[in-house]
Amino acid sequence: MAEQSDDELVENSRNGDLAAFKTLVIRHEGKVAGVVRSMLGSTPEADDVGQEVFIRFYEALGKFRGESAVSTYLTRIAINLSLNEIKRRKRRFSIFTKEEEGWHKGTSDNSSDLNEMIAHEFSQLDPDFRAVATLRLIEGYSTEETATILGIPLGTVLSRLARAQKKLRTGLEKYLN
Amino acid sequence: MKDLNEDLFLQSLDGNISDEQKNKLNEAMTDLALRKNADQFLKLRSNLLRKEVDSFGPFFAERIINQIKSLKKEIDYQIFFFFKKYQVAAIGVVVALMVLNIFLSDNLTFKSVLGFEDEQVDNIVSIDLYQNLTE
Repeated sequence: MAEQSDDELVENSRNGDLAAFKTLVIRHEGKVAGVVRSMLGSTPEADDVGQEVFIRFYEALGKFRGESAVSTYLTRIAINLSLNEIKRRKRRFSIFTKEEEGWHKGTSDNSSDLNEMIAHEFSQLDPDFRAVATLRLIEGYSTEETATILGIPLGTVLSRLARAQKKLRTGLEKYLN
Repeated sequence: MKDLNEDLFLQSLDGNISDEQKNKLNEAMTDLALRKNADQFLKLRSNLLRKEVDSFGPFFAERIINQIKSLKKEIDYQIFFFFKKYQVAAIGVVVALMVLNIFLSDNLTFKSVLGFEDEQVDNIVSIDLYQNLTE
């Protein structure tokens, strides 16, 4: 049997077919996990936000008109919920401890592992810059797609990306040379 | 000027810059500092770019489906209890009307409780069906 397209699965899910929705979850879990973990680190909250993304999507199935791809739509929800979570953390004045929990897993200050150092520097970025860098640099979206997902002008994406990469390069100077 | 070239470089990664912009970028890249920044950025990007599919762990999809099922149950309960409130109120009104009917009527019959008046045969107006035809 041919694999069902996302649109077909969405239509079936709308009609109450939970198996179809489960297929959508399995298909897009990787993408959502990548985005949420890039934004929040590997924290328990990241898993909660991941679940919330799919629940929100399920609740919004009636409104989903298919103007954008399912993965793009889910990415947008994932970014927005992650930004909300970061704001919540800030309100709780515990952003630093939470970020340390997620981003410092198995990392020491003397670690020479470039990827872990990059991940750490990444977590220090301002959330808005991190969102741009996540989509453009980690997930591989184009500048235009990034602008569409975040609902910001192309020029803003470019300036945030330039500032994010400058900050990352500064922090990783000795590793990148 | 430097920022403009950096923007141009970032745009070039999307592969949609014009030939004129390409030439301008190539020219700018003769600047060693910009070249170094660009190389560092490309190295950074290749390290950051996702190479493996991430996951929330086993049974993630099952957890979502269970959550949706419990969410549905919750909504059903909410609807049930929402209408239950009105059901109780409606029953209360009906009982009150029945009690009122009992007080207002002279005799306690099933009909009087329901609010039907006992029509006396004399009071029933007979209709002569043929009246209009014969006139």
